[in-house]
Amino acid sequence: MPNASLLLEIRDLHVGFRIFEGHLRVLAGVTLWVAEGERVGLVGETGCGKTTTVKSVLRVLPIPPAIVTSGEILYRGRDVLRMHRRALHVLRREELTAIFQDPLQSLNPVFTVGSQLRDIVRDSMRTPEGRVLSRREIEARCIQALEETGMPDPERIMSNYPIQLSGGMRQRVCIAEALSTTARLLLADEPTTNLDVTIQDQILRKLDRLVDQKGSSVLMITHSMGVVRDLTQRIYIMYAGSIVETGPTRQLLASPKHPYTQGLMASVPRLTGRGVSEGIPGRIPNYLEPPPGCRFHPRCPHRMPECSVEAPPMSDVGADQRAACYLYRRSPS
Amino acid sequence: MTEPILEARGLTKFFPTKRGTVRAVDDIDFRMAPGDTLGLVGESGSGKTTTAQCVVGIYAPTTGDILFHGQSIGATAAKRSKELKREIRIVFQDPGSSLNPKRTIKQILATPLAVHHLASGREQVARISALLERVELPPAEYLYKHPQSIGGGEKQMVAIARALATDPSFVVLDEPTSALDVSVQAKIINLLLGLQKEMGLTYLFITHDMSLMRNVASRVAIMYLGKLSEIANTAEFFQMPLHPYTKMLLSSIPVVSDEEESLKPAKGISRGEIPSPVNIPPGCSFHSRCPSRLDVCDKIDPATVEVAAGHVVRCHLYPGSQERTS
Repeated sequence: MPNASLLLEIRDLHVGFRIFEGHLRVLAGVTLWVAEGERVGLVGETGCGKTTTVKSVLRVLPIPPAIVTSGEILYRGRDVLRMHRRALHVLRREELTAIFQDPLQSLNPVFTVGSQLRDIVRDSMRTPEGRVLSRREIEARCIQALEETGMPDPERIMSNYPIQLSGGMRQRVCIAEALSTTARLLLADEPTTNLDVTIQDQILRKLDRLVDQKGSSVLMITHSMGVVRDLTQRIYIMYAGSIVETGPTRQLLASPKHPYTQGLMASVPRLTGRGVSEGIPGRIPNYLEPPPGCRFHPRCPHRMPECSVEAPPMSDVGADQRAACYLYRRSPS
Repeated sequence: MTEPILEARGLTKFFPTKRGTVRAVDDIDFRMAPGDTLGLVGESGSGKTTTAQCVVGIYAPTTGDILFHGQSIGATAAKRSKELKREIRIVFQDPGSSLNPKRTIKQILATPLAVHHLASGREQVARISALLERVELPPAEYLYKHPQSIGGGEKQMVAIARALATDPSFVVLDEPTSALDVSVQAKIINLLLGLQKEMGLTYLFITHDMSLMRNVASRVAIMYLGKLSEIANTAEFFQMPLHPYTKMLLSSIPVVSDEEESLKPAKGISRGEIPSPVNIPPGCSFHSRCPSRLDVCDKIDPATVEVAAGHVVRCHLYPGSQERTS
């Protein structure tokens, strides 16, 4: 439930893209929040609008072609979407930080790791008295940030170019960049998707510890159910541009209520080896003409006539667990 | 074990480069019985794709041999007979780049039929429709579509249909679902398992997803830097993993329920980076990351030992492995 210590709140966000063929209605009323110190997961399959959501929060969506048709993104009560350019810069410098999926795209190939990291620290860090850091302090802070991510030999890494590092090392550099600042909210967009499992395990553990130390909040975007289970307390399940279910992570994964979440969980291959389910028939809708009402209804096994008329509101389906589905509308709230 | 359909004997493939030799596959042995699904698991750069490509003849092995029904097939596809190429087929990881975007699905599926003189004219169209039906794509809807107008899962189904066009007995699946979402993956896996039963196929299934492997493979082989660390039957493999690398892999998998959590070996902390295959550490290639390394590990490469029937492991921790030095 929203309360006083809300850090980020997205209210009924609608984002579309104008393209040659027409208007892609991608986000259809995304509502989510992250409280101070909380770790939240945003889970969904390819093309469901996870990245569009994060980009809207950072305000790095290219406008045009993107258009925010309605909705608000509140960071500590201030609307990010209506923020002045200067205020936005301060927000990005001091409050928000992000890790993206592909470190090769988020690191500049023609500058050394050190020069990129120094720039970030110089721009975003101040001493307690509000003074700009000296060159030596910047250097020390950079090396410390790299060390914290478990990188061997940080002095040498500082003089390396991104291509000289392996995928896991590059992602550690991105984590170091993101966590070297004093930011309160970390937006992690599929930070370990490109990595091998043993490396993913190391990186996630490091990330987990660093976030703990700094007490920052995390919005973790991923398609891996296992990753959110290890790292987050609460999750949002997203399908075709809207939130279909939300609740405490472990509880939701153990007893999913929305038909989409149920289908998704049944499709995840398990270590218990009881075979694989049939999957979910059909595929994600075309955003040019999304189905009316609940966007999942063409693929839903429990489809009812009203599903194609109007999108269902969120109903309580368990302790703190809510699903956007007509199946649960009469359940006690 | 029954007569193996495919056997690798000391299979080795090196690639010379300017910075030294890449030891992509280094002296591996495995046998597959008909109807088996051998899951080949490994991290990036472990040589699993190179192994698959040697089996289908994209590369000829540097040394060692591959036997198919007892016959040596260690040559590139250019030198293989057409009958052999009909028998061994491959499905690649990314259907977006393995299907020609300029051709319709009908043309894509007609190619293997024409090359192998299996069908032409009206019979060809009938065969293509039957193939599409086999992979659960209605032919009327899909015959004249181009790959870019269908979804990733459907593209992979077309790629599977293409592999099955020549009625093979052995199919190499090189990460067939790792580019796809789980709900689509589930569908493809079910389809593959159904086809295997129906057509009596043998699969060499390459993946990095251990949870998936648990559900599809009958035997699992773990590869690390070009060598096989451990091979065992699936149930035994997951109940009693022996090699420290296997334990590290298993404990690193993110799982979604408490029940699975209890199946994972005690949290072996994964550490270290995967060394470059150009510069493989001496002795056992895993020693730099191994939590239970011994003094011999960085000097002598362990030999493979059969610790139980069909359970082979390559590690100094298991007695008998010191006998052979590298």
